[in-house]
Amino acid sequence: MSRLPNSDFEQLALPLLDSLYNFARWQCGDAEEARDLVQETFLKALKGFGSFQEGTNFRAWIFRILRNTFLTSRTGLERRSTDQEDEEGFEESVVTHETPELTLIRRADTDLVQRAIAQLPVAFREVLLLADIEEMKYQEVADALTIPIGTVMSRLARARKQVREYILQAAGGKS
Amino acid sequence: MSCEWREKVALFVDDELDAASQREFVAHLPTCAECPAAVSDQIALKKALRVAGAKFTAPPDLRAAIYSSIHPSQTVSRWWKWAMAPVCALLLGTIGFLLYPKSQPGEPMIASLVDSHITALASPNPVDVISNSLHNVRPWFAGKLPFTFQMPDVKDSPFTLIGGKLVYVEQRPGAQLLYQAGQHKISIFIFKARNQGTTPPVWNHDVSFTASSWKAGGRDCYLVSDASRDESAKLVTMFQEANRQ
Repeated sequence: MSRLPNSDFEQLALPLLDSLYNFARWQCGDAEEARDLVQETFLKALKGFGSFQEGTNFRAWIFRILRNTFLTSRTGLERRSTDQEDEEGFEESVVTHETPELTLIRRADTDLVQRAIAQLPVAFREVLLLADIEEMKYQEVADALTIPIGTVMSRLARARKQVREYILQAAGGKS
Repeated sequence: MSCEWREKVALFVDDELDAASQREFVAHLPTCAECPAAVSDQIALKKALRVAGAKFTAPPDLRAAIYSSIHPSQTVSRWWKWAMAPVCALLLGTIGFLLYPKSQPGEPMIASLVDSHITALASPNPVDVISNSLHNVRPWFAGKLPFTFQMPDVKDSPFTLIGGKLVYVEQRPGAQLLYQAGQHKISIFIFKARNQGTTPPVWNHDVSFTASSWKAGGRDCYLVSDASRDESAKLVTMFQEANRQ
């Protein structure tokens, strides 16, 4: 077996398969499309692995490929054109104004939180998925999405705010 | 919203503050009427998102297809390929299972424990059993956990026991013991180990809190603290000695 050229790639990429698939599935909303997207991402990443610089962040690099592949897919293009999210006024959401509604959030079942994630615009959901589910640092998210770190922070704050409002509204609380 | 620290809550919970700001924020928490609740609130939301967001796992056939694309030379004959497909899928599943928890960059266990430690810092009732004596705290866990553990006597040491509480992390029940070390607090977490053996403390977890993990006496142990590594290491050593078998 000629494993040598690909063994490094395999070691780095395969443990990320579930994370990449989870991200793709959330963004596409369709199992078959997510499959194709992840497969295409792996092929592109394997092909371009020579250009990956050792010592830099592989996770951010392969998520960037996945995200770019998604954005140029049919669903990605459709979602981008329908999600018109202005970047204005983000400072307002960086300073979180939420009142502590701990009990309602703690009681929120997984299904409700998943619905709250699903209703987010793609640009907000991708930041939330990378920061809160993949637990990336802000800089890593910025690298993966090729956006400034300030945009990561503002989108994350707005995404969380929208999730919170959705949960509180559905649970009958006041936001 | 009168508190000027309020906008730092998300940065604190996301572990994005530099060490100096983090120390200032931790010192600010007990003096503020707003921030502790906001921190708990933000942690609750992050936890809910972490659980709900990890919804999908890659189907086995996708895993197998990707494996084949990485190893195209394995396509020897159609018969052989079909015969090997389930074996490859099983093997990959096993490798994935073995590799995933060790190489997952986010270290969710440590992240969850950091959350528990932050919750303890922010809460007005950080522990369920309040006592500075191990003879009160250790028996409190009896019957509440499916294992026992030893605690060091911290008399004549720089540490003071604050108390303990039950935690449930990654589907495992465990004990959280809270200590005061000067201006800082240290959480020790103890769980029943999934396998036997002893491992020395590993310190370089990718979080800005001091964090360590080790295994002793059939227990998985963790430390999370805003105290320095040197100071924390003393308590780790005391726990290692207490739980040596």
